[in-house]
Amino acid sequence: MSQRDVLTELRTARVEAPAPLRARVRLIAAQAPAPKRSRRRFALVLVPVVAAAVAAGVFFSTRTSSPQPIVLHGYAANSGSVRTLAPAPSAKRAQRYGASLQLQVRNVQKVVSEALRITASLSGFAASVHIDTSTQHGSATLTLRIPRTHVQTAVARLSRLGTVTGEQVDIQDAQAGLNTTDRLIARLERELKTAPKDQAALLTARIKALQRQRAATVRAVHFATVHLSVATPPHAVKKHHHYLRDALPWVGGAGAVLILLLALRGLAALREARLLSRF
Amino acid sequence: MTFAEAAEQHLDDVYGYLTWFTGDRAAAEELAAETFERALRLWHRFDPARGSARTWLCQLARTVALDHFRSERRRTRREELAATPERVDERFADSLSPDLEAALRALTAGEREVVALRVLLDLDAGTAARVLGISPTNCTTRLNRALRKLEEALHVAA
Repeated sequence: MSQRDVLTELRTARVEAPAPLRARVRLIAAQAPAPKRSRRRFALVLVPVVAAAVAAGVFFSTRTSSPQPIVLHGYAANSGSVRTLAPAPSAKRAQRYGASLQLQVRNVQKVVSEALRITASLSGFAASVHIDTSTQHGSATLTLRIPRTHVQTAVARLSRLGTVTGEQVDIQDAQAGLNTTDRLIARLERELKTAPKDQAALLTARIKALQRQRAATVRAVHFATVHLSVATPPHAVKKHHHYLRDALPWVGGAGAVLILLLALRGLAALREARLLSRF
Repeated sequence: MTFAEAAEQHLDDVYGYLTWFTGDRAAAEELAAETFERALRLWHRFDPARGSARTWLCQLARTVALDHFRSERRRTRREELAATPERVDERFADSLSPDLEAALRALTAGEREVVALRVLLDLDAGTAARVLGISPTNCTTRLNRALRKLEEALHVAA
């Protein structure tokens, strides 16, 4: 008898449940309550969807926020728009005007050249320029001196050179100090008219010193100081490397658990096979 | 599908599977009843999207049968010396020849169940493998081995 014949004969076999068993099972089935699975199914669908949405939200918010710097008080972050914090300098009062601008750019050298060109076009000059391209991420720091009347334009034009990641403006009023110096000089000049000869020389020297100090202050407030920092964004590959490194312990742990589960399942299968071989 | 419909529709399949698996009609009857009792308790877990009711009931029947085998082994260990062997109804099906009945009896329970699932219940390899908790390839290998044994046994008998 071939395997085909064996199969044919086996297929003719019909096993029907005996009547007592059928009656017993019908009795069991009669106790079945009405099905209520809709809420459970809804929960089964809803829970993974919500979990996935939360996970995606956390993942993407982490990814997009990681290259952004911490925004401190007095800093503003925007994406390359010309809107800046820099207020217009006062036309009537002397002010020490300082601005600091951080940009994220693709080409550091090109941006530095453009920043120097903008500075020169506004009758300013570069007090210091430092460019560093020795590391993987290029960066540059520039200290620009720009006429106070043009500083707002300068900051706006410099902001267009890249993505603004930080901006700080510092304004100090110098007019009060100048007024005080003016009043002091006027008083000393009045005293000089009535002063004896031995005191006149001292008063004259003090007046000249005050006048030099005043002139220096006026010169200082004529130019605003703009600190410009530019840098390339962190390399994408490096970020992935960090993700992998951070995930490694988790992957290792999950692998160990998986191996343990597989071993347990294999053990169970072995025991089951041994059990079945006895019957 | 309600539980009553599933029970009515698949009772013969579950009973047939258990008969061939255990090789004992009386035990199969008890186990089939226990399977449906358990199925009633767990019916809320049944998901038609994951498989048919027949597959699910066969999986449940297999678990019940394995529990039975374990308890049976413990019992035989206890009564190994004193007890006389129980008389069992040796017929797997009424239409089978005595030689084939004997050949089936010579198979192990594991081999008989794969024959029951693939031949008697006519399940495809994937579904039968899911019931057995093994891969489809492994399931086909087991079936071929069982059929070869049957063939050899019938050859000797002839």
